[in-house]
Amino acid sequence: MVLDTFLITGLFNVVMLIGLALLLHLQLGLTRIANFGVVGFWGVGLYTFGVLYVRVDWPFEDPIQFVVCAVLATAAAGLCGLLIGWLIADLDVDGVLVGTLGFATAVAILATTEQGLTGGARGMGGLRFPYDSGDVAVNELIWLLVLVALVAGILAYVWLVHRAPYGRLLIAIGSNEPLARSLGKPVTRTKLGLFTITSALMGLLGVMYGVMVRFLEVSSLGIEVTLATVVGLVVGGSVRVLGAVVGVLLTVGFFDIVIQSYLPLPAEWYTQTIPLMREVLFGVALILVLVFRPLGLLGHMRRDRLMKRIHGG
Amino acid sequence: MHRAGLDRMSGRATDQAVVEPDAPTSVEKSQKRSIRRAGTPMVIAAVILAAVWLTGNLSAIVPSVVIGLTEHAPLVLAATGFALLYRLTGLINVAYAETITLGAYFAMHLNTNYGLGFYVVLIPAGVLAGLLSVATYLLIFRPAKLRGVGTLELIIISFGLSIALRYGLQFIFGTPVRFFDVPPPDSVNIFGVGVASFRLVALLSVVILAVGLYLFIQRSRYGLMVRALAGDEALAQVSGIRPFAVTVLIWFLAGLAGGMAGAFYGVGSSVSPLLGERAFLFILLVVLVGGIWGINGVMAVGVGTGIALAFMTLTLGKVLYAELALTAAFLVVLKVRGRRLTESTKV
Repeated sequence: MVLDTFLITGLFNVVMLIGLALLLHLQLGLTRIANFGVVGFWGVGLYTFGVLYVRVDWPFEDPIQFVVCAVLATAAAGLCGLLIGWLIADLDVDGVLVGTLGFATAVAILATTEQGLTGGARGMGGLRFPYDSGDVAVNELIWLLVLVALVAGILAYVWLVHRAPYGRLLIAIGSNEPLARSLGKPVTRTKLGLFTITSALMGLLGVMYGVMVRFLEVSSLGIEVTLATVVGLVVGGSVRVLGAVVGVLLTVGFFDIVIQSYLPLPAEWYTQTIPLMREVLFGVALILVLVFRPLGLLGHMRRDRLMKRIHGG
Repeated sequence: MHRAGLDRMSGRATDQAVVEPDAPTSVEKSQKRSIRRAGTPMVIAAVILAAVWLTGNLSAIVPSVVIGLTEHAPLVLAATGFALLYRLTGLINVAYAETITLGAYFAMHLNTNYGLGFYVVLIPAGVLAGLLSVATYLLIFRPAKLRGVGTLELIIISFGLSIALRYGLQFIFGTPVRFFDVPPPDSVNIFGVGVASFRLVALLSVVILAVGLYLFIQRSRYGLMVRALAGDEALAQVSGIRPFAVTVLIWFLAGLAGGMAGAFYGVGSSVSPLLGERAFLFILLVVLVGGIWGINGVMAVGVGTGIALAFMTLTLGKVLYAELALTAAFLVVLKVRGRRLTESTKV
C-alpha cells in the first residue's frame, strides 16, 4: 500500500530536517559555531544539483547522471563550507552570525539573479527521480526510504563522533576555545574540517529535496529551513544526539504531519493560516525554551551527568 | 584572569581561563600578528582593485554620492540605534529588524487612517517603536539575562522574537505591500541627478536625528551614564548610576531610531513585513565594521555603505549584485579585523 502523498511529503520534510538538525548539533551544540545560514549550504546543494542536472548535456543517463550531479553538488556545498569556515574561524559569535547570514543571503541573491541558470523567480523544472517505477507515489515513497537511510547514516556518524576523541575535541573547543588552543589542539583545522563536512552533508540533503520536489523555487531559500532546523535542535536539546530527532518530531512533525494529514481543519487554513502560525509558534518556542530550559527537553549530556555524580555538584 | 561560569546551552562548566580583552596572552598576540600578516595583502589587493574599478567608472561617482546619501540615509539612523544597543548589551538583537518594520507600520497606520502628514507621524511612530523595544527588553531579554542565559542563546532568542514578530505581522496585515498616503514629490536637480524633493527633506531629517542622537550620547549627562554603563557596569553602579533606568533608556532610544528609520524606509518605497529584514544585514555589517572607530565610525561607514551601494548598483546594473559584492567586501573586512573588539572600542 502506498502512503498518502501529503503524508509522504510531510515525512520527507521531517526526516530531512532531522538530518539538518543533527549536522547543526555538531556545529552549534558541540562546537558552538552559530550557523544561521543552514539554508545557504542546503541551497547550494539544491541549486548546484538542479543546474548541473538540467542545464548540462551529460553523455550518460540516470542513475549515473544523478550520482555525478549529486557528488558535484555536495562537493560545491563542502567548498562553500570551507570558504565560509575560513572566513569565520577567527571570529566571535557576532562575526559568525554575520558570515553565515550573509552567505545565506548571497545564495538567495544568486539564485534570483542568475535567471539563465536557475530560472530566477520563475523557478526551474526538469528534475526527476533517478529511477522510474511507473507510479509517482511509489517513486516518492522509495525516495523517502533513501532519505531515511541517508539520515540514519548521519545519525550513526554523529553518534560515533560523540564517542570518539574527535568529539571530545569538538566539545573542548565549544567549551573554551582559548584553552583548547593553549593546550596545542588544532582548533582552526578542526573547525574547518567540521564545517566543511557538515556543510557538504547539508548540501546533499538539499540534493535529496530537489529530486523530491522536482521544481526549484527561490522562495525555498527563505529563513524557514534554518528556523525549523534551529527550533528542532533547541527544543529537543542541542547537546544530545537524539535532541535533534526528538525536537524535530515534536515541532515540524506536529505541524507537517499531524496537522497537515490528520486534523480536520478548514481547507483554506492550510494555505495561509497554518504556515504562518507554524512560524510564529516556532519563534515563540525558541524564546520559551531558551529562557526556561536552555538545554531543551533532553537536558545535559550523559557524560556531564556522570561527571556530576562522580564529583558532586 | 579566571572567571567561573556555566555555559547555559551546553550546561558545561566554564571555569577555565577566560582571557580578558585588556590582557591578551602570547597565544592571542601571535594570532593577531598572523591575522594582520594574512590580512595586509588582502587589504592592499582590495584597495588596488577598488582604485582600478573606480577610475574606469569616474562618471558614476557623483551620481552615486547623491543617490547614496539621499536613498540610503535611513541606514545611518538605523545603524546608530542598533550600535547603541550593541554597545550596552553586547547583544546582536536580530529582532531590531522588526522594530524597523513596526516603525514603518505605525507611521503608515497613523498616516493613512488618521490623515496625518508624514512628518507629523514620524515622532509618534518612533516613540511607539521605542516603547515596543522597551517591552521586549522587560518581557524577554531582561528575564533571560537574570536567569543567566548566555550571549549566543540571547542571539537565538532575538532570532525567535524576530521570526514571531515578522510572521505575526504577516498574519495580521497579510503579505501585500502597502503605501503611505503622501503627495507626489517634486524633482530637484542636484549635480545632474534628479532627486525627489521629499528625499532631500528626509536626508536633512535623518542628519538632524543622527546628530542629535550622537550629541545626546557624547555630550549629555544621560549619554555619559550610557557610556559609563557600557564601559564597566560594576564601576558605573558604584558611581551611582542606576543600570536599570539607563538600560531602559537605551532600549527606548534604539527603538526610537529604528522605528523612525523604518518610517523613512517605508515612505521611500513601500511597507511590508519583510522591510526590516531586508535592511538588517547591512545594519549589522555597518555596526560591526564601523564600530571599530566608535559611533562616529558607525555613522561614517553607514554613509560610505549607502554611497558604495549606489555606485555598485550603477556600475553593475543590478541592486542585488551590489548587495552581494558589498556583503562579500564586508565579510573580508571582518576576516581581516579578526577577533572580538574590546568593550571600550565597540562604539
